[in-house]
Amino acid sequence: MKLRYALFGLATVGMAYGFSWALRMPADAVQGESARIISVHVPTSWLAFLAFGLTAVFGLAWLATKRSKLDHLAAASAEIGVLFTALALITGMIWGNATWGIAWDWGDARLASTAMMFFVYLGYLALRRATPDATQRARRSAILGAVGALQVPLVYFSVNIWRTLHQTQSVRPDGASMPTETLISMLVNLGAFTLLYLALLVWRTDQLRIEETYLAKTSLAPNAGTAVVPPKLQPGS
Amino acid sequence: MTFRRQALVIFRRDLRIEGRTGEALLITLPFGLAALFLIPLALPLDTELLSRIGPGMFWAVTLLFGMFITFRQSAGESPAQHEQLRMLGVDPAARYTGRVAASTLLLVVFEVVMAPTTILLFAPEPIPGWPWAIPLALLVAIGLALIGTLVSDMTASLRGRSTLAPLLVAPLSIPLLVPAAQGLESIRTNNGILVPALFMVLVVLALAVIGVMTAQPLEETT
Repeated sequence: MKLRYALFGLATVGMAYGFSWALRMPADAVQGESARIISVHVPTSWLAFLAFGLTAVFGLAWLATKRSKLDHLAAASAEIGVLFTALALITGMIWGNATWGIAWDWGDARLASTAMMFFVYLGYLALRRATPDATQRARRSAILGAVGALQVPLVYFSVNIWRTLHQTQSVRPDGASMPTETLISMLVNLGAFTLLYLALLVWRTDQLRIEETYLAKTSLAPNAGTAVVPPKLQPGS
Repeated sequence: MTFRRQALVIFRRDLRIEGRTGEALLITLPFGLAALFLIPLALPLDTELLSRIGPGMFWAVTLLFGMFITFRQSAGESPAQHEQLRMLGVDPAARYTGRVAASTLLLVVFEVVMAPTTILLFAPEPIPGWPWAIPLALLVAIGLALIGTLVSDMTASLRGRSTLAPLLVAPLSIPLLVPAAQGLESIRTNNGILVPALFMVLVVLALAVIGVMTAQPLEETT
């Protein structure tokens, strides 16, 4: 409980500091004011990759150990990943509209592959919802999580494999192709958003555990009317 | 019985059932052809536009209808049949391999019928190096069979299976569809298919490894 609040607190402080840098930095010569959105877009995209990568790791760990906490962690991570992928898509579309003059371009590999990754994990959540038995749900979703994780490197490297509208990685080992203020705001928010992810992960995992315990108890309890037995017809009556 | 022999028996069984029910080739295939006929009717009468979108329509119809070939009811087993296979000691990975092989063959037949129909209906620009499209179509068939069979097992006995399974397969097959479409474009522009084909081979290999490795845990879900 305390860990969750500490993580939320740290994430809030970090985001406040990161956003203050994003608001203070001068407008970009080419992209104008829209460049500020990078401080949200990049961290949300990073969290989508992290969340889906960890969904696969937790799922595979469940397959190896069958510990229900790992399944809850995988499910929570996928839910948070879907949320952050949606945010990354929305912020990307806002930025694209201001910079490229178009919110959505089907020819762009990064946009299209991110949307597909989003649908894979919506499918992951749908699969979990469609499977009532806890063990079956954990097993099926662990396997789908492993298959779905193949999309993560595809989305990340899509800008290198297919040269399309989206620029390649701006931060590389040889340096960053952006002003220092933008880089600081982006990196601070990257850390803050990661703390937010961890806080949400702890919170949602606890909820899933409580939910499963409750469902296990209620499914064992007799339902109203179970004591009522239909009368048996006697032969010849 | 060796792994190969077990896979071969399952492969033959699936084809024999398909021969009796005709679910893939007598129902899904005509439905795919009907979709190819419907698309030009939903578009303005523009021969140039149709010839441009023709190859794309081929891949889209192959993906959308091909997945139903992999989900065909006759490829699945009833719990009793499944139980029997398990008691006979059939390796789940061999079962998966045999089913993938049967679906791949049916998908190849599907593509063989769809390709000339697309050429007839959409009259795409002639592609000089068209034989290079054959390995691309084969890789799409193998990849789609791998994904479809895996998802079919994953969603077995679920109530919403008929809706859920296509929702899972469609986005998962994008890593195959995009390079296949790009490969065809590369052939048209005489740029070679090495990069998209290699990418597809990597995806297919990864899917095959995941499919075989997860066959045992998936066996326990049914």
